Amino acid sequence: MVTGGLFTLGLVAVVGYRWPRWSLVLNLLLSLGILAYGGYGLWHGASTVGPGALELSPLRAWFLMVLGLVASLSSWYRWGYHDDQASLRFWLPPFLISMMTVILANNLWVFMTGWESMTITSFFLVTTHHERPDVLKSGYIYLVMSQVSAMVILAGMLVMDTHLHSVDFSVWAQRGAALPRSTKSLTFGLLGLGFGMKSGVIPFHVWLPRAHPAAPAPVSSLMSGAMIKLGIFGMLQFLLFDLGSTARWWPLLVLAVGAVSSLLGVLYALMEHDLKRLLAYHSIENIGIILLGVGVMGVGIDWHHPAWVAVGLVASLFHTLNHAIFKSQLFLAAGAVEQHTGILDVDHLGGLLRTIPGIALGFIAGSLAISGLPPFNGFVSEWLTFRGLLGLTHSAGLLGLYGVGLMMVLGLTGALAGLCFVKASGVVFLGEPRRAGPRQPLPASLTGSVLGLAAISLILGVIPQPLLQLLNGIDPAYRLNAAGMLLPARVPLIAGLLIIGIALFAGLSRVWEVRTVPRWSCGREADASMQFTSASFTKAIRTTFAVIYRPHRQVQRLGSGAPDFPTRLLYRGGTVPVWEQYLYRPVYGLLWRASRLSTHIQRGPVRLYLAYLLGTVGLMLALLH
Amino acid sequence: MVWIVQALGVAVLVAVAPFMWGIAQMVKARRQGRRGPAPWQLYWVIRKHWHKETTVPERSSWVFRLAPSVSMAVLLMIVITIPIAGRVPRDWPHNMLTLFFLLALERFWSGLAGLDTVGTFGGLGASRVTTLGTGIEPALFAALGIVWQVSGNGAMAPLAAPLSTAPASLLPWLLASTSVAMVLLAEWGRLPVDNPDTHLELTMMHEATLLEYDGRFLALSEWAMALKFTALATFGWVVLGPHLPSLWANLGLRVIEIAATAGALGWMESRLTKLRYFQLPAYLAVAAGLGMLGFYLASGGLSV
Repeated sequence: MVTGGLFTLGLVAVVGYRWPRWSLVLNLLLSLGILAYGGYGLWHGASTVGPGALELSPLRAWFLMVLGLVASLSSWYRWGYHDDQASLRFWLPPFLISMMTVILANNLWVFMTGWESMTITSFFLVTTHHERPDVLKSGYIYLVMSQVSAMVILAGMLVMDTHLHSVDFSVWAQRGAALPRSTKSLTFGLLGLGFGMKSGVIPFHVWLPRAHPAAPAPVSSLMSGAMIKLGIFGMLQFLLFDLGSTARWWPLLVLAVGAVSSLLGVLYALMEHDLKRLLAYHSIENIGIILLGVGVMGVGIDWHHPAWVAVGLVASLFHTLNHAIFKSQLFLAAGAVEQHTGILDVDHLGGLLRTIPGIALGFIAGSLAISGLPPFNGFVSEWLTFRGLLGLTHSAGLLGLYGVGLMMVLGLTGALAGLCFVKASGVVFLGEPRRAGPRQPLPASLTGSVLGLAAISLILGVIPQPLLQLLNGIDPAYRLNAAGMLLPARVPLIAGLLIIGIALFAGLSRVWEVRTVPRWSCGREADASMQFTSASFTKAIRTTFAVIYRPHRQVQRLGSGAPDFPTRLLYRGGTVPVWEQYLYRPVYGLLWRASRLSTHIQRGPVRLYLAYLLGTVGLMLALLH
Repeated sequence: MVWIVQALGVAVLVAVAPFMWGIAQMVKARRQGRRGPAPWQLYWVIRKHWHKETTVPERSSWVFRLAPSVSMAVLLMIVITIPIAGRVPRDWPHNMLTLFFLLALERFWSGLAGLDTVGTFGGLGASRVTTLGTGIEPALFAALGIVWQVSGNGAMAPLAAPLSTAPASLLPWLLASTSVAMVLLAEWGRLPVDNPDTHLELTMMHEATLLEYDGRFLALSEWAMALKFTALATFGWVVLGPHLPSLWANLGLRVIEIAATAGALGWMESRLTKLRYFQLPAYLAVAAGLGMLGFYLASGGLSV
């Protein structure tokens, strides 16, 4: 009944797209409804799922809550957003509804219908500005990759269907664990591949940094905060909950993919100058961190280690929620920067803290959270992920060494993320503006929604226990004590003392009692052009990781006195998009050549095609008998 | 009892931090044939700064003003979490993972403050400090490999006793200790990674982020810098060093150990030259490799 009401609300919102205010109110109501339904599901955690087409379970309720939270705040944000077009108002409610369907779906066909409509609606949302160059191309790349992922997922699900003789997910949950090893491996491979593509793990990430920046800010926040998480949802629900233990190298592979995605995601983010592309690469990084939690859970299942299962599950679920919060916060803040200045290239920005202090505060808070620093929520879930990996170091030999290696990768990732966000928030909000230009005042709803998300992330970073308690009922098999795992961290104590300590020293050093003087700058005049830019800030990283980036630079000296006394210098530099160049382009070329070959049998006459048809039918009959 | 010892330990560490810094400077000066300042010089310097008027560069924001307080608060937190005498009261947050996150917070904020000053040197310092941090964190995770193996949830627990008794585990312990020492040198900002005594802005790392500070802000920053040395030295000795049976004796032992570390640091610094900035990744990679090797030897061979 609740889902029926939400569907109706969504339908009304679609029809009402011509009336902006109404459509916004309806969208907000729909989002709040999803949030409330998710909260209800978590509170009343009924762990067995009924036979209906749409059913609620604690795991689904958690993801529903994530979706509802992001959707509610981005609806509020749209109140003052300059780019709130009719197409956005038309496609957003069905996008929300289809994501809800994916989460609640209880059989194969409902799931695939929801999955496909999610892809199609988000394609139209990504291509909102189809008149701009490259937006349609990004949209098509996104559509093609999503379709491939959907087909792989369908194949995996049909394998399950063939072996269990049911499309009902509640049957899968009961009997999935009893499947033979080989079937499990096949399903794990297919579904893992499909869900991995949708959540943008490396090497299937190429659509992500193209699609997210092309979309308007509220859409980016929904896609990054909620949509890519549904891949994680699928992995958890089907692969870990339904299948149970599999071949031992599958979870180890998940861990490896998570490590590679997190490290390469942040490394690519460091080289980005476009604020939204930078954030999109960080989504890849965070999906990697979530996958590390998922992998720890998988290892725990296969090695029969309930403690690892519990900590991995809680870490990945909590990081899913946290990433949804701070990433949508950052995307919305980036949209506000764009609305304020009209620029997204960080090297042309600067000093925005003075003109939009609220957004700056929200962005810096989000930066602290995404870098996993106390007292924000990212700290709690990254701490839990570390603790999960720490468990692996207890094993003897190679698995233990693997654990230490993964901890190193996660440590490196965290430090690089910190570097990247010092760069992003420092270059954009601090210092002097690098380029003068008109600054549009921002409506209160933009600042309000960004700061609202920041407040949620601070609250979850100081007192995470009440929310973690809700996770206890998520899988009765493991009798989780989610809040207990966090005990050694003493998060409220650490965060509280830290805040008190900072306030204490700020009071002692009387931060308000200062005199403003011209800056010293070692006795020289300093102007805006002397500030570090994002390229100069990450120079050392570029040379250290030259193997990955393959950077190239070209300096031309022009003018009459060249090369010794040039009047102008032309500098061009960049990095090689390795995956596009060495993986996607060859594959694309192969496909292209194959399709050229197939023109030989596609000559055009209808009779020929009829003959093909007849031949295919005959072949199938022959094969089936 | 444990409460009192821990509280006293925190007070002692915070109080002696500038003195320990002074010991390193004094030994270094003597080794270089200078008389050098007395070991308690830093107290006078901090007092002088504290009573001067505090100025901030124009167009800088609250981020710049808050940075010294963040550094000091973070380091105080770290000192509180370390089991200084080897034992802590029940439910104490003595966790190594938390310690790394706190250090990262300090680095993050000093990077931001460096970028807030508009000048080139602030940005340069911010870039170098945060970049160095990306090497320090993974190296420290590897260096503490054998410690992870002993402590279940990352708690800082004394390790040396079970390890140093068995001769077979002496080698992993030596490797881990070397590795930790190498990484801590980088984190302290001492030679061969960074030189706290440099007067040339171009070669500065941590100092470059402090160039625009004066007055009370500079006083706090300098105390925090000294406290970082004392706190992390204590951390190293607690997890890898020897322990005495009595709590009070342990507390005394810590002070002696830190003073010895400071002396050794000063002695070593007079014999070392600074590494080139772009060679630091290799330095930290060696440290990480030693730690991994130690872990591998301690966990006993190739078996899954």
